[in-house]
Amino acid sequence: MTSASVAVEAGGRRLRRRFRGSWALTAGLGLFSISAILPLLFMAATAFRHESDWDRSKIGLPTTASFGAFERAWTGANIGIYFRNSAIVTLSTVALTVICSTLAGYSFGKIRWRLRGPVYLFVLAWLAIPPLLLMVPIYVEMVQLGLLDTYGSVILLYTALNLPFNVYLMSAFFRSLPDELIEAARLDGAGIHRVFLRVLLPLAKPALATLVIFNVLWAWNEFLFALLLLQTDHVKTLTVGVLQLQSRFVTDYPALMAGLLITSLPVIGAYLIFQRHLVRGIVAGAVK
Amino acid sequence: MGRTRWGNLPVPPDPFHRSVSRTSAPRRRRAAPHWIWGLAYATPAVALVGIFVGYPFGSIVYHAFTRWDGIAPAQWVGLHNFRVLWNDPLFLRSLRNNALFAISVPVQMVLPLLVAYVIHRRVPGWRLFRATVFLPAVYATVVIGIICYTVFQLDGALNSALGGVGLGSLRHEWLANASTSIPLILLVVIWTNFGYNVLLYLAGMSAIDPSLEEAARIDGAGWLRVLRHVVVPDLRRVMEIVLVVNTITAFAFMFTYIFTITNGGPGYDTYVSEFYIYNQAFTNQNMGYAAAIGVMLVLIVLAIGLLQIRALTRKEA
Repeated sequence: MTSASVAVEAGGRRLRRRFRGSWALTAGLGLFSISAILPLLFMAATAFRHESDWDRSKIGLPTTASFGAFERAWTGANIGIYFRNSAIVTLSTVALTVICSTLAGYSFGKIRWRLRGPVYLFVLAWLAIPPLLLMVPIYVEMVQLGLLDTYGSVILLYTALNLPFNVYLMSAFFRSLPDELIEAARLDGAGIHRVFLRVLLPLAKPALATLVIFNVLWAWNEFLFALLLLQTDHVKTLTVGVLQLQSRFVTDYPALMAGLLITSLPVIGAYLIFQRHLVRGIVAGAVK
Repeated sequence: MGRTRWGNLPVPPDPFHRSVSRTSAPRRRRAAPHWIWGLAYATPAVALVGIFVGYPFGSIVYHAFTRWDGIAPAQWVGLHNFRVLWNDPLFLRSLRNNALFAISVPVQMVLPLLVAYVIHRRVPGWRLFRATVFLPAVYATVVIGIICYTVFQLDGALNSALGGVGLGSLRHEWLANASTSIPLILLVVIWTNFGYNVLLYLAGMSAIDPSLEEAARIDGAGWLRVLRHVVVPDLRRVMEIVLVVNTITAFAFMFTYIFTITNGGPGYDTYVSEFYIYNQAFTNQNMGYAAAIGVMLVLIVLAIGLLQIRALTRKEA
């Protein structure tokens, strides 16, 4: 046996060892990936079928090119209004979240002040409390504050409920930035605010991307508190609104699926755009 | 190498504490000491958390010991609610269902770990896998719930498809009894949250020094052994997070699935504790009793979480 063939042999063995057994996992992963796309296909196929086709068979390819189901959902069932409400709630929640958690992250991560430790702990402690269990007092509190049935109720609540995690993420991120950056800026005469705005904030873009995508998904998809706090059609968000397509006497399934598709597409789009930042952001924050 | 003479000194804990301007302007020219600004920067977040999480938490703890309809002043009843709770068959039943859904926890500990490792090792197509594995978590739970209901109901898509391919004998009322509906919901919950766990594991793995794995591989260890002896010991913290997050999910994030797929039924077959809180509070106006259920659940979740973390750390240590 020549030395070359030994090397090839060894190389082959190493490759085989590397993947032995993992083909099953890879195949499983492939199946999982297909299953992840199935709901999307089901919604799309059904939304483009005639109701009569649906009645005949629940599974099948699209039979019409008309957007009739989307129209029935969008105007007939107010999905257009719910879409607007969801957009308002989600964008405001994300904006408020970004402001609160970057400010707090800077404070906890880079400024030293009296009581910083206890206050930080106060914010983080709620990570362990499932928010759904607080639905009773939150509902009563919203009634007392006169916020029931307003955008404000869910915007403030969504922001507050996720702040423990978001503040944690941003604090960890700011802490990971080298202090030399701040010292250099201080030598140039920058104060506490200028350091934040001009030096640290521009560096925080990747962390902010993570913050944005997580909170877009959370605010757009949240259901229970929207169900509790938003009761009239002009403030209801999509997740609560689409239920109305279902709760009619005879469900118009193509329209229902069109509604669900309208609910899903914006977040899927946001996910595809921000996808890269998910893992990277967690590395910066939650795990280290 | 041009190292400064500060190069090896530890980084000072607070960059703002070093009086950079020791020789220039006198101190009292500063408008405010910076600890005030520290507090000011933290205030919006602290206030929001205090008002909308801290206060409700205090309220739930207090009202758990009262009789309360949410409008009239609450009446103190001591431990009465908890005494009733302990003998409430519906509460125990919904708690048992929560525990059944916690079967997902070991699955979520192991499978996502394997999947994350496969992606981490860059199998062909890993980029695509990384994108699609999180996709189920992107759909709103309501969307998934309604689709499941549509597919699994008696004249739904699954039975229709079974009839279509000549397997009509397998037609089944999938959501009509607990023996099929609970496993189905369990499967859906695992499927939805799978991506989150993979993501957490991936993040943990990317923080591990790759030369360790390389060394083990060169020494002839197969990928499973590398995973077990090199990667997993470094993932203890991530595994703790996965463990606790998924336990909390089983006990406190089931509402939307149940609400949209079975609505707790048939009967009370798929009733879970949050559903019970919701109904006690908003159907029966028993806000005090609902608060007591909430407190019990918080205690249960915390206790299980602590026990699990202790078990995990002891095993690995």
